[in-house]
Amino acid sequence: MKKYLQLMLCMSVLFVGRVTLAQTPADAIMMKQREICFALSYDHGTWDHYWEGPDLRVNGNIGTLTRNTTAPMVAYGIINKLNVLLSTPYVQTKSSGGQLAGVKGFQDISVALKYEAFNRKVGKGKLLLLPVGAFATPMTNYLSDYQPYSLGLGTTEWTLRGIVQYELDKGPYVRGSVAHLWRGQTEVERDFYYNNGSYYTTFMDVPNAWNYQGTLGAWLLDYSLQVEATYFVMNSTSGDDIRAYNSPQPTNKVEFSQVSFFAHYYFKNFERIKGLGVMGYYSQMLDEGRNMGKFTNIGGGFTYQFKF
Amino acid sequence: MVVLLISLNFNTAIMKNKKLKILIAFFGLIIFNSCENDLPRMAEFTSIEFTGLDENGGTWTPILLASSSQVVVSAPSAVKSPEYQAELAALKSATQSLSGSQVEAVQYWTNNPIIRWNEIALELATKYNLIPGPNPDGTYTLPNSANPAGPPPFPFAHPPYTCRMLAYLSVAQFDGLITAWHYKYTYNRPATYVTDASISYAYAKNTLPSYPSEGAVIAVVSRDILTAMFPLEKDYLAAKAEEHLGSLVWSGSNVQSDITAGEYIGTEVKKVVLARASTDGMKNAQTPKAKSDSIAAAAFARFGWKWENMETPQRPVGLTPLFGKVKMWNVPTVEEVRPGIPPAPGSAELEKDAQELQDFAKNLTEKQRKIANWWSDGLNTYTPPGHWNRLAKDYIIKYEMNPLRSARTFAYLNQAIMDAGISCWDAKYYYYYPRPIQVIPGFKTILGTPNFPSYTSGHSTFSAAAAEVLSYIFPAEASYCNEWAREAAESRIYGGIHYRFDAELGLDQGKKVAEYTVNKAKLDKAD
Repeated sequence: MKKYLQLMLCMSVLFVGRVTLAQTPADAIMMKQREICFALSYDHGTWDHYWEGPDLRVNGNIGTLTRNTTAPMVAYGIINKLNVLLSTPYVQTKSSGGQLAGVKGFQDISVALKYEAFNRKVGKGKLLLLPVGAFATPMTNYLSDYQPYSLGLGTTEWTLRGIVQYELDKGPYVRGSVAHLWRGQTEVERDFYYNNGSYYTTFMDVPNAWNYQGTLGAWLLDYSLQVEATYFVMNSTSGDDIRAYNSPQPTNKVEFSQVSFFAHYYFKNFERIKGLGVMGYYSQMLDEGRNMGKFTNIGGGFTYQFKF
Repeated sequence: MVVLLISLNFNTAIMKNKKLKILIAFFGLIIFNSCENDLPRMAEFTSIEFTGLDENGGTWTPILLASSSQVVVSAPSAVKSPEYQAELAALKSATQSLSGSQVEAVQYWTNNPIIRWNEIALELATKYNLIPGPNPDGTYTLPNSANPAGPPPFPFAHPPYTCRMLAYLSVAQFDGLITAWHYKYTYNRPATYVTDASISYAYAKNTLPSYPSEGAVIAVVSRDILTAMFPLEKDYLAAKAEEHLGSLVWSGSNVQSDITAGEYIGTEVKKVVLARASTDGMKNAQTPKAKSDSIAAAAFARFGWKWENMETPQRPVGLTPLFGKVKMWNVPTVEEVRPGIPPAPGSAELEKDAQELQDFAKNLTEKQRKIANWWSDGLNTYTPPGHWNRLAKDYIIKYEMNPLRSARTFAYLNQAIMDAGISCWDAKYYYYYPRPIQVIPGFKTILGTPNFPSYTSGHSTFSAAAAEVLSYIFPAEASYCNEWAREAAESRIYGGIHYRFDAELGLDQGKKVAEYTVNKAKLDKAD
């Protein structure tokens, strides 16, 4: 059974496809030493409304914005209690309205270290505590200052996350995590810009952020199928608002919350494709947000795991 | 660094306590990374040692005043008089115990406050350079000076608005300072610190007479011209001017009678300047739809083509169709600098230039993309006129110009830029030439296409005019300026929003327009 659970690590990069660049592994599953897992996920995100400051609006010169992300990922068990994850999404953006060209390319490379600090039987289940540290940096010289089409925020990002999970022996579990994201500066292609005043520099400060996640999950079909429902919040700690009928920029204060539903099936009873899994999900942002497209995302992918 | 961390983990993971240390180090790096450098908000300098004082500045020819003595300033009290001695004593006492904010004000305003007021002007231009969005029913409401609060707020500081704002600001500063220089060297009241060596002066000392205060002239004309241009910023500008006037005392620069005389000059000069502004034709530049349609119909009858706005919902009127009729500074008639007819849509010549745009869109290099963005200067920026003011400012600091010569630089620069804008807009609405996104089916660009016809390119015209004036004033920098103007022109081609002929004929046009201004500048006795 545990072998199959290890597969779940592959799900860690599920949220890479979001424009918020939440690439942080946020589940509670560990791979054993010398286990390796490859995952390939595809995310299709769209919005036709966005928040200008706190106000939800449409824009005929954008119409519907589409953001497709293909995310290859690899996870490896350095030891049983320490895993490393690498990911580098390929992003394509376009809009149905207006005359601005979309962009495509590799976004950021991210590496995360997940440590299982605590794993004990408590009552009728077990309690897990996992700190995660992650680092991400742009892989290509994409332009962050081309929002809402930009591939990403164009800056380094350090993340420190704490995960707590309590899992009943019968399969249902509850998980919560809190993360702080430290972002650096992004270099843009102009040396003057407005951020509640003049800035004479090619660098923009990208706001730091807090991320909160709460998940209810369960194992079904004799641990072949995992299902989860997640509530996800991302809030910048500073930043300015998009100005009236103006483009967003990397300095903006971004806030949103989102619910998502996710399922992952493992072919554990099929000897010839053992180690293979398929997954799918749907997520929707809720009505309150700030300086962000109100995304609906649908996605899926494959996972494959073996001993290295 | 990331790779290093991972390898460390591989090698030491076996030992539990070491592993923990690595993790701590990893998270420690996160904290370290969060410390960032402060980003610059202005040109960083606190005092300039002027290369010269232009003692004959009072003899220079003003732009709008009939002469440097049109504004009459009476003689100050004598240096040895009790009144002046009392003023000096008050000044000395005021400089002796400055608060932290007063020290900051002295450092901020410097002895060349022309720089700071130009920065304030550019910041306001940027703040107000937002195009009004559509109403829920798909109509557009235009900013209205009679109801500045809006919505939308007044003004929309687009390139024509901003180039005109900068021209009036710098002409007012220049005429005010010529007047101040005239009286400084007529009355020759020595600098405060020359008369009383115990007065601590915050900036580099020189022999410029202190009466009337050049700083006060600049504070008052700048506040009043900018308030006329940005009425919603009245309180902000009043506070800025008050701080500036305060800094003249806190820095030991001026006694109160110096300041009062400077304020008087500023008030009188701004009346003359705003009188011209109110009758220059700008208030008719943004036309009603019927007038705009008739301009489009006239162009169609003349040439057989017609520009259209391609936004959703479509904007019914282009930006300031009659800006081309605004009174020019130094060109007698706008027709004499109007460029020739552009190649017709469908012609081989147009097809060739349109193909070039499609080729760039497909294979734009990173360098070309950077050039397009560097000179983009679109919405939410200080516009191309602002960009060239910023470049001029950097030269003014580099060449350590005094305030009078700085004002002259900006005054001629901005007259030429505004004339170039007027000439460019004349061509735009005379020829009414369609943009690439209208002519090339399905064409997508990396820059937003502005709401006015294509021919000629505003960037090219503004930039060539600016480069022409800056080359005259800073001959050692001429090759840089001309190269930048060419790059600014090219940037619009890389961005997909102008044909090559828009850019090249725009460059010719801007240079030609600016020659009138340079020829005038050469006669003002400053050289």
